[in-house]
Amino acid sequence: MIEFKGLVKRFGDRTVLKGLDLTINGGEILFVLGTSGTGKSVLLKNLVGLLKPDAGQIWIDGEEVSAFSEEQYLPIRKKCGMVFQHPALFDSLTVFDNIAFGIRRHLQCTAKETQQKVSHSLKLVNLSGVEQKLPAQLSYGMQKRVSLARTIALEPKILLVDEPTTGLDPVTTNAINQLIFELSRKLKTTSIVVSHDMQCALDIADRIVVMDQGNIVDQGTPDELRKSTVPLVKDFLSEILQKEAEQ
Amino acid sequence: MMAIFQPFFNIISETGRVVQFFFQMLDVWKRKSISRDLMFEQIWKVTVQSSATTALAGFFVGAIMTVQFTMEMKDFGALGYLGGLSTSGTIREVGPLLIAFMLAGKVGAFTSAELGTMRVTEQIDAIRCLGADPIQELVLPRFIAIVISSFFLLGLGLLLSIFGGMLLGKYFSGVNYEEYLRHIPTIVSLPSILSGLFKCFVFAVVLAVICTHRGYSTTGGAKGVGRSVVQTAVSTMVAIVIADWATSLLADIALKIFLRSR
Ligand SMILES: Nc1ncnc2c1ncn2[C@@H]1O[C@H](COP(=O)(O)OP(=O)(O)O)[C@@H](O)[C@H]1O
Ligand SMILES: [Mg+2]
Repeated sequence: MIEFKGLVKRFGDRTVLKGLDLTINGGEILFVLGTSGTGKSVLLKNLVGLLKPDAGQIWIDGEEVSAFSEEQYLPIRKKCGMVFQHPALFDSLTVFDNIAFGIRRHLQCTAKETQQKVSHSLKLVNLSGVEQKLPAQLSYGMQKRVSLARTIALEPKILLVDEPTTGLDPVTTNAINQLIFELSRKLKTTSIVVSHDMQCALDIADRIVVMDQGNIVDQGTPDELRKSTVPLVKDFLSEILQKEAEQ
Repeated sequence: MMAIFQPFFNIISETGRVVQFFFQMLDVWKRKSISRDLMFEQIWKVTVQSSATTALAGFFVGAIMTVQFTMEMKDFGALGYLGGLSTSGTIREVGPLLIAFMLAGKVGAFTSAELGTMRVTEQIDAIRCLGADPIQELVLPRFIAIVISSFFLLGLGLLLSIFGGMLLGKYFSGVNYEEYLRHIPTIVSLPSILSGLFKCFVFAVVLAVICTHRGYSTTGGAKGVGRSVVQTAVSTMVAIVIADWATSLLADIALKIFLRSR
C-alpha cells in the first residue's frame, strides 16, 4: 500500500503539489489523469525519491520514505519500477545492455541469468530479437516497449508508468495499454499509470484519480467517475459519453 | 532599482551552486570508484575532438609570437632569444589560456549539451532508478577526462607552437632552427613551467565543473538544452578570465616567496 499525506512540492516560488493526499491499495491499477503541467510526473518522481517533497509524508508498505537518503532509496527503487514518459534509453548501449543495466545493479545475477531475464522481459513486451540493436534503430513505439521491458526486468512489486501512450498512434496506443493491463495482472503488481486517455482509464483502471493544479479534484472507480459532477472530469468524459450515446 | 542588481545576485547564487556541485562530486569520488573504461573512453573522445583545432591554434600562436617579438628584438640584436621568449610566454600564459578557450568552446559546449539532453529526456532519472549514481557514471568520467586531456592538449599545442615559431623564425626573422631552439632550455625556467601547468589545471577544473553542472541541472526540454549551452559558453569564458587573473596573482606571490627563500 502506498500513501501520500499532505504532499507539498515547490520549484522556486511555484508550488506544484499543494498538500496532496492519496492512498493506493495493493494490487490495484490506478490511473492518474489531468491536464499537462499539473504535477503528475512530479508526483511519481517524489515516490521514488528523484524529487524530494517540501512537506508531507510518503508511506510505502508501512515505511515513511520521504526523508530517506540516496542509499536508502535503492531498495525502494527496485520495488517501485518506473517507466518514464520519454523512453529514456541510453543511446550508446544496445537494447540488451539497456535492459541489463538495471539487472546488473539491482539483482545479483550470473551472466546467464541476466541473459534469460533480458530475453524474458523482451518477450513480455512482445519484442524479441532486437537485443543487439541500438535505440536509434527502433521506432518510437518500440523504444517505449523496450523501456517498459527494462523496468519489468527487475520484477518490481509496484509499477509506475508515466504517459505510456502520449505521442503514439491509436493502434500502438491500444497495444501498449493492453500490455500494461496484462502485465500488471500477470506480474501481480500495484500499478500507477499517468495518462490523458480517459477512455483507456475507464476500460482498464480499478480506480481513477483526476488531478488539477497540484491537487486531486475527484477519484473513484470508473463507474463512480462516470457520474462525477466535477467540471474537469465532465470535460474529460464529454466526448466519450457522447460517442456512447450515439451508438 | 533592484532590477539592476538582479544579474549579480544570479551570478552569485549560480556560483554557489557550482561550488556545491563540485563538493558533491568530490564526495562521490571519495566514496565510489570510477570505471577506468568510462574514463578512458571520455579522455579519448575529448582529446580526439580537440586535437586538430589545438594543433592548428598552437601552430599559429608560435607563428604570431615570433612575428610580434621579431620587430622589437631586432633593434636590440637579441633575435637569438626569440625561441626562448616565445616558448616561455606560450607555456606560462598563452598556452593554458588558449587550451581553456578551445576546450570551453568545443568540449564544454558539447558536454553540457550531452548531459542536458540526458537530463531532459529523463535518462539521468532512469539511471538513478536503475540503481546507479549518475555523478559517478556520467559526470565524474567527463570531469576527469577534461582535466587530464587538457594536459595532453597543452603539450600538443606547445609542440606545435615551437614548430610554428621555428618556421616563421627561419623564413620571417632569419633565425635558423638551431638558434631558435638553443635558448629555450635557458629561458624557460622551472617556475614558468610549473605556473603554466598549474594554470592549465585550474582552468580545466573550472571549465569542467561549470559545463557538467550546467548540463546536469538543465530544465525545460530542448529549449532548456540550448539555453544551457549558451550559458556554459558565456560563464566558462568569464570564469576562465577571472581564474587567469587569480592564478597570475598566486603565481606571482609564489615566485616572490621562492626567490626570497634562495
Ligand atoms: N525539475 C523541475 N524544475 C522546475 N520545475 C519543474 C521541474 N519538474 C517539473 N517542474 C514544473 O512542475 C510542473 C508540473 O510538472 P509535471 O509534473 O511534469 O507535469 P505533468 O502533470 O504534465 O506531468 C510544470 O509546470 C513543470 O514546469
Ligand atoms: Mg508529465
